[in-house]
This record gives sequence, C-alpha cells and structure tokens, in this order.
Amino acid sequence: MANTKPAGKSGYRYLVEYDRRIIYLLIFILVLAPLLQPFILPIQVSPDTTTYYNVLNGLKKDDKVLVVFDTEFSGYMEIQSGIIASIRMMFQHEVKVAIAVAHVEATGIPQLVFDQLASVMQEHNYVYGVNYINLGYVFPNEAAVAASAQDFHTVVRQDAYGKSITGTFLDDVKDWSSWTLLSDYTTGIQSTALINHYGLKGTPMIANVIGVMISTSAPYVSSGIYKALLGSMRGGAELEYLTGYPGPGLTAMNSFTLGHYMLMIAIVLGNVGYFGYRSYQNKLKAQEVK
Amino acid sequence: MSEILKSRTLQMVVLVLSFLFVFVPYFIDVKVLTDFSTQLITIAAIISAFTLVLAVYSQFRRGYTFVHRRSRGWIFKAYMMTSIVLMLIFAVYSQTSGPYNWVMYAIITPLSSVNYSILVFYMASTGARAFRARNGRALLLLITGFIVLFYQAPFTGAFFPQLTPYSLYITSTLVSAAGRMFLISVTVGAIVFGMRVLMGKETSILGAAKEEK
Repeated sequence: MANTKPAGKSGYRYLVEYDRRIIYLLIFILVLAPLLQPFILPIQVSPDTTTYYNVLNGLKKDDKVLVVFDTEFSGYMEIQSGIIASIRMMFQHEVKVAIAVAHVEATGIPQLVFDQLASVMQEHNYVYGVNYINLGYVFPNEAAVAASAQDFHTVVRQDAYGKSITGTFLDDVKDWSSWTLLSDYTTGIQSTALINHYGLKGTPMIANVIGVMISTSAPYVSSGIYKALLGSMRGGAELEYLTGYPGPGLTAMNSFTLGHYMLMIAIVLGNVGYFGYRSYQNKLKAQEVK
Repeated sequence: MSEILKSRTLQMVVLVLSFLFVFVPYFIDVKVLTDFSTQLITIAAIISAFTLVLAVYSQFRRGYTFVHRRSRGWIFKAYMMTSIVLMLIFAVYSQTSGPYNWVMYAIITPLSSVNYSILVFYMASTGARAFRARNGRALLLLITGFIVLFYQAPFTGAFFPQLTPYSLYITSTLVSAAGRMFLISVTVGAIVFGMRVLMGKETSILGAAKEEK
C-alpha cells in the first residue's frame, strides 16, 4: 500500500486511508441503534435450520436427550438464541433432558437457561431429576467423554449440586445407545470427542456451532453424523422464528443485517479508493515523465 | 525397581498394550475386552482430572517466582493467584449462590462476552481494508465473499431470494470441500503421529523431550 500513496491530494485518498476508528464508530452505532429503536426486518429461513427444526420436532415424549454445553461464556453469547429455542422445543415435546458441561465457564449456563425457560418448564410440569437434570462439568477432556459413552455411571455419579443421580431418569441410561439424541452447543472444545465416542457409534447428533465453525462442521452433516446443523446466531434467530418465540436472536438480526451491509459498503468504497488512487498516481507519473 | 519402571521399553510396551485394549473393541465385540477397555478409559479420565491440580500447582510455582523476583507483570501473577484462592474458597462455600455465583455472573460472564465481541471491530476494519481486487484471484475471492456476506445478512434472503441458490452452492461445494480437506488433513496428521508414537519414534509424550525452563 505504501507505494500507492499519492504525491498530491485526491478524494480517493480518504477512501483508502481513512481512520479505522470511523469503522469502529459505525459498527458501534449500527449495533446499538436497533436496540435503542427496535424495528422489524424480515428474514429468510435457511434449509439447514429447517432440517434442524424438523429433527427437534420429531422428538417424542420421554425421549432422552443429552445436551452438552461445550462453550465458554463468550461463545454462549453467539449461540444463546439457538440454545434457548432448542431447549424450549425439547421442553415443549416433554423429553427428558440431561445437561452436561464441557467447559468450566459453561457451568453457569444451565441456570441461565432454566431461568429463561421457567414458564415453559412450569407449563409442562418439569421436575428436577424426573424430567431434567444438570450434571455440571462432567466432560473436562476426551477420556471423560469416551468413558461416559461406554459406561455412563462409572464417570457420572453426582449432579452439578453434589447429589447422587441414582433414582433419577438417568437410571435407564447405560451408554451411548441410551440417548435418543445428543445436542451439542459448541465452540469446538469437545465436539470432536463427542463425534468420536457418541456420533460415530450411532448416537444421533445435532449441533449449534459458532460462525467460524460452520464450514468445518458441515462435512459431518453430509456424512450423516450430524442430523442437522444450526449455524451461529443467525440459525438461532431462524429457529426462534420457526418456533414462534422471538428472543435474543431475532432482536440481534437487525444489527446483524446492518453490520453486514455496512461491511460490504466499506469494502466497495475501499476498492473504489484503491483503484482511483492507482489511476491518479499513474496520471501523476505520466505527467512527470512528460 | 525404579530403573525398570523408567525403562523406555517397558513404557512402550504399556503404551502399545493400552492402545490395543482401547482400539480393538471398536472392531471386535468381546465383552471381557470391552469391559476392560471401559475400565482403562475411566482410569484415564480420572488421571486426566488430576492434571487440573497439577496445572494449578504449576501456575502457583511460576507465579510465586514472578512475585518473589518482582519480575515484569508480577502484579498480574499476584492477582491471578489471589483470584484462584478466592474462587476455591467461594466454591467450597457454595457454587449456586453467594460470592462464587456473583463472580461467575457479574464478572466472568460480561468480561468473557466483551472479550469476544470486540473482535467484530477488528474484523470489520480488517475486512474493509484487506479485501482489494488486486488481481484475478483476489477478485474471485471478493465476489465469493460478497455473495456469502450478502446471503448471510438475513434481510437479503427475504427480498432477493434469487441469491440463495448461489450462496448455498458456494457453501455446500467450495466451503464444504475446504472444510473436508482441513478435517482430513488433521485426521491424517493424527494417525501419522499415533503411528510414530507406537513405533517409538515420537518419545515426547513419554516425557523424553527436554523440559522447558
């Protein structure tokens, strides 16, 4: 870029060398404005989200679902809309849900989810230990995941609150084959371990991944290991739309859309500036030669 | 006795046997073997959990050296050690209420979220500055990026559904192929590494490599 700096003044110069804080400011405004002054922009539901919705919709009463919070708090902010919408669907279908955590920061997430879905849980008479359970940080590494897949009770004996899991619905769980579905909400910490020890053995899996993981997770859908993939916050928003319960995802979609458009405009202007610059510099050089 | 236990040959024999006990039941369903494999994996899981204690011990030893010598950034080490001790005490008191809960939801949650969210500023700025159609390949990248970015904005699909098949084609062919290539490379690398370990050519996992000072 250094050799393209103009000798004289050019309007294109500002399109190439503008202060990056202008971008920061614009992003800040575009994220904040829709939150301060909410408005509705229509969205399109992608085929991936529809498939994901259909998998959850196929759950039957008393099916057993292992939900894994395989994320830090930072990742949770991106996929929380998918988490809330998915678990809401599970509760509405009255399936039995066991929540396992694969990152120490995620130990706080189950309570946040239960608080947000308290009304649904009450409506469907969810009782702790009978219909749902929080196992806490039971998947710190691949060995723990592998052991739980082969003999669940050798690894997991207590819930997150230190109470024995004996007498809960987990009495029926023996190994990987006991689960109707494994639902992974992931930033990639133990997702490979879950695929290796659950998915490849035959446990049906779905995953809600952060944006940067979509391309590396997609092959698992075509290979049949993932029954469906929910991508990032956008997927969560689409799921909220399909379920008819607007939440944090749909709220964020306006900022999401405007941010994308702003980035595209910035790229176009940057290219206009770049080529304008080069042309301007070439003209100057031609004049010097003459 | 200690010499025997330290023997590289014995370590290799244990390693190869452990591998076989876990690997073979994937292909041959023999109950005794499967049960033994499960026991072995459970032992591994428990031993792995102890590495956390080892990590805390290492952090404290390193942190203490920093503080004792007043090395650059020693105050952060002191802060880290104090935080670890406090969180341990809080967690013993209660994990579902009280100070542990408060630290979790009032400090760790927002800090972790902010840490991730501020990336958007750098990504947007870098994207705006780095995407230049300098040559044919860069132009192709730019066009592809544009189609995907345009599609990723949910509003676009609602008003320009004609764009959807093109974006889906790109993600399901080009992007997926790149993802597959990445996964296959990583897996082949892991297999090669495993084979080297089993053949005794990669001794670092047995602690043979020099410890970092």
